[in-house]
Amino acid sequence: MHSAVVRVQNVFGFFTTVAFCVAGVIALSSFINPQFPSASVKLRNVQVVRGRPHYYSYKKEEYAHIKFDLDTDLSTLFNWNTKQVFLYLKAVYPSSKPGQPPSEAIIWDAILPSSSAPKHQNHYIHPNPKKPQSKSKKSKSKNQENIDSPYPRGELHLNNHRPKYQITDISGKLQNRTDVVLELGWNVQPWVGALTWQNKVDFGVWNALKGGVSAKFDFPEIGAKKKAEDLGTEKGKEGHRLEAGGEQPIRKRPS
Amino acid sequence: MADQLLEQVRDAVEGQIDFEGQRLAELVTTVLLGAAGIVAFLVGYMAQDIKFTLYIGLGGTALTFLAVVPPWPFYKKNPEPWLPPHAAISGVSIDVDGKKVG
Repeated sequence: MHSAVVRVQNVFGFFTTVAFCVAGVIALSSFINPQFPSASVKLRNVQVVRGRPHYYSYKKEEYAHIKFDLDTDLSTLFNWNTKQVFLYLKAVYPSSKPGQPPSEAIIWDAILPSSSAPKHQNHYIHPNPKKPQSKSKKSKSKNQENIDSPYPRGELHLNNHRPKYQITDISGKLQNRTDVVLELGWNVQPWVGALTWQNKVDFGVWNALKGGVSAKFDFPEIGAKKKAEDLGTEKGKEGHRLEAGGEQPIRKRPS
Repeated sequence: MADQLLEQVRDAVEGQIDFEGQRLAELVTTVLLGAAGIVAFLVGYMAQDIKFTLYIGLGGTALTFLAVVPPWPFYKKNPEPWLPPHAAISGVSIDVDGKKVG
């Protein structure tokens, strides 16, 4: 410590030790913050269509398009050490081969920032049910001010929401699969410390996720009629074309 | 003249302090940095805002650098006296290659 250079080294050396210890304590402090997340996921509509992975592909694959309802209260995931929460909804279905683990595919995801996170273009913007979607300049400047969700942080209420991704299977075959569920998952990304995923069992003061799994459903056949509720809708006259040579209009049978 | 100037510059850069000063500097480093870390965590946790922790921690570190690195006068209060010239204490004679040195 007799010369200035030695003192600089000494202070900096101890600073790194202190910084590491404080970071460690901060990381541990996340675990004493109680959290009790809850969520409800419901299937609204599922369709399977045939398509190509890209325009020049010769391979045809089957894609599932899943609409869903999602209501969550994840506000307790946001403690002082949370930077953002990556939230995702995945479809889980048994593998076509027995003995293989079930397949999972993400159909929708969102990045929920905490209040301490700086603004970023990829942050999730919750659709606002009250405000009509208008593209005028006036409303755009207004949107900049309250770009935040109409609900408190971590609370989502999505109604009949479209998926972000259409999913397919590695085999390319997706129709008539049974026992599909939608499952909510997340990844909490802290400022300091370990990443944590959704917990299915209680862990200390962290309660397991309540709900978050939809009822079982099946992927329908390609071109199958939609769910019963859709059958009641009014159809245009083009739905009643006469078969050539026939006398009765063709009516597709509800499956 | 140039030598003298160089000597002054070297003294200023090296910033040497005495032995008691070194003990004190060590103590100040430990106490200030440790306190900054603890205060930073507590304030941040109370306010539930990690930015407080960051800035208090960095501020405390800057303060510690300021307090410890420059050779402040209070690190130089107990200068170690030099031994008096050899000739004054004894008539010890040291031979180096036949030459009388001491």
